[in-house]
Amino acid sequence: MGMEKVLIALCAALAIGLTAIATAWAQSRIGAAGAGALAEKPELSGTIVILVAIPETMVILGFVIASMILFGGK
Amino acid sequence: MIVRMSKIEIVGPKDLLQDVLNVLSSLGIFQIEPSSAGISEKGQEEDLRSFSLDEKTLFERLFLEDLREKIEKLFSFLPRIPVRKSYLDPQSILGTLAYTVEKHLSACKSLEERKRILRRELAELKRYSGFLFTLEALFKDAKAAPDLDVIGLTIKDPGAIEHIEVLLSRLTGGKFKLFTIPVENGALGGLITIEKTLSEKVSRALSSEQIPEMPFPESFDLLSLTGKISFIQQRSSAINAEIEGIERERQKICTRWWPIYTTVYAWINGRLALLNATASVFQTRMCFFIHGWMSTEDVAGLKRRMASSFGPLVVIEEKEMLQKDLDRVPVMLKNPSYFRPFELFVRLLPLPSYTSLDPTPFIAIFFPVFFGMILGDAGYGLILLVMSLILRKRFAAKKTLRDGAQILLISSVYTIFFGILYGEFFGDLPQRLLGIEPLCVERRTAIIPMLYFTLTVGVLHVLFGLFLGIVTAFKKRTKKKALFKFLSILLIFCMIIILASFFDVFPAVISQPVIIAILLLSPLLLFAGGLLAPLELLKSVGNIISYVRIMAIGLTSVLLAFMANHIAGLTGNIVIGIVVAGMLHLLNIILGVFSPTIHALRLHYVEFFSKFLEHGGKEFHPLRKGDDEGTGSI
Repeated sequence: MGMEKVLIALCAALAIGLTAIATAWAQSRIGAAGAGALAEKPELSGTIVILVAIPETMVILGFVIASMILFGGK
Repeated sequence: MIVRMSKIEIVGPKDLLQDVLNVLSSLGIFQIEPSSAGISEKGQEEDLRSFSLDEKTLFERLFLEDLREKIEKLFSFLPRIPVRKSYLDPQSILGTLAYTVEKHLSACKSLEERKRILRRELAELKRYSGFLFTLEALFKDAKAAPDLDVIGLTIKDPGAIEHIEVLLSRLTGGKFKLFTIPVENGALGGLITIEKTLSEKVSRALSSEQIPEMPFPESFDLLSLTGKISFIQQRSSAINAEIEGIERERQKICTRWWPIYTTVYAWINGRLALLNATASVFQTRMCFFIHGWMSTEDVAGLKRRMASSFGPLVVIEEKEMLQKDLDRVPVMLKNPSYFRPFELFVRLLPLPSYTSLDPTPFIAIFFPVFFGMILGDAGYGLILLVMSLILRKRFAAKKTLRDGAQILLISSVYTIFFGILYGEFFGDLPQRLLGIEPLCVERRTAIIPMLYFTLTVGVLHVLFGLFLGIVTAFKKRTKKKALFKFLSILLIFCMIIILASFFDVFPAVISQPVIIAILLLSPLLLFAGGLLAPLELLKSVGNIISYVRIMAIGLTSVLLAFMANHIAGLTGNIVIGIVVAGMLHLLNIILGVFSPTIHALRLHYVEFFSKFLEHGGKEFHPLRKGDDEGTGSI
């Protein structure tokens, strides 16, 4: 039972941790490129916000999976 | 909403053109279309040619452009200080100003040049004084013997000292002393004391070895070190006094002349805008033709105004709007006062096209709700409410800040509302201190119910977006696209039913017919949306799941507030507890302004707008007298 709990927690941590790393990596690349683009064209701010925000879906999906692993969806 | 526009043609005799343009610019409701293609009738296009200015007007335009350039140059030399307003008639003083602007420009240029020279001298003196002050202590020892000479050095590489010592030893037979002391930028200040007879020889050797000697101006030659320092001090104060005098002179010119030049500058801008507009006008042998766009509701008013000013001589005709015109129609947004501040968010993106929908009302309704759902704390809401009221009052004159404060005000009201539902007032204080249970749901523990709730919000929001997509597609008369959006709605419904039956919300038996319905609808979806249609549908499902962020970000906020109260309780001291909790809550409020804003905006920009909005609209720029006027554009 104890080991099962550990494994469940580990799986939940992996679900959110890996997706968070993936999101962070994607956002760092997009953010750096976006900052460069903004320096040239400030009117692109709306588009850059969208581009930076797009990878966040990954960590949100990871969060949903982690919540379902921890608390059970059914 | 996007204001309905009309395609307008104004025709009149050529000699009335300037008067008509004057009326149009004073009303500020008409945008001139510089191209006649697609507006003028077929067969008529060949007779129309661009309006060319006569010699007198052309001369006036060149004169005004030259004067404007000179005034702009003058403005760049003058300081920005608050000045009075001028009530002189600009037109009557144009000739005089064309003369005075030359005089002032030349005076300002020479003042600026003198100031530049003085500043350079001051910087040089500062460099010398830094060096001399540093070496003063060393020099006190060095000048004991009168037959000795001193040479100042700047040693950039401390490693070079040994090399210098070897060199000096060779040249002077060991009769020297080298003092060093750190100066600015990590370099060393060096002072060599040698016999006066060897001074020139050493200087030459240092120069050939490329060791920079600290050169002093010739005026320093006869002065002792203390004399040099006091000379620098005296000269520096004289230079500072002269710079102050120059500044006073510039301020004097500015106080007296800035208001006059500003008024004339604004008038010139207005006049040139009018003359430039003339270049977009077309003519035949006797008539002028002005083509353009204006709001449909203003057409009747313009017709009345033209009739009262020019009688039947000037004719305004509303032309039929063709399908091919739709891409050229300028876009003007007009919303009720409650929605208007939210145009700030809409304008962060390119404008919606004329055939699309204005997303301002939707973002004005949903953004504060999402903000409130994420932050959801009555205490934080109250603080934001007070803050937004202060900001709104303080920045009443600045539109962007005032709009931002208004958005914060509306959002804070929703934050208080959801805070009451969640039972949160600075976290779990009501529960902790008074034992009051949450009215609706405790976010900290009800993770799965909140997850379902936010998913439901996502379903409703995305489906509403798809419905608006159907409306837009019908407006553009693209029925296939409308069918695709409709099928997407149906398929999302089917998927929700299957998921609900999987989680025992609906009986399992219902899922079979729904699966058959999905199989039947899929070919239609491929027909309406093409091969990428299933991908689009999957994207919509991903969009719905993305709404879970409302709960996820809210959870981080409530947990931080809970921890603030918990840590405050652990301190065991009421004062320290309040300070600790206060600081953590302050951090949470700061995060609570930015995080919900970014995420609520993202939900709109990415998830919602992508379902119906088409960008690419051109902003409506009417011919207006005030355009480019005032000092703001300088």
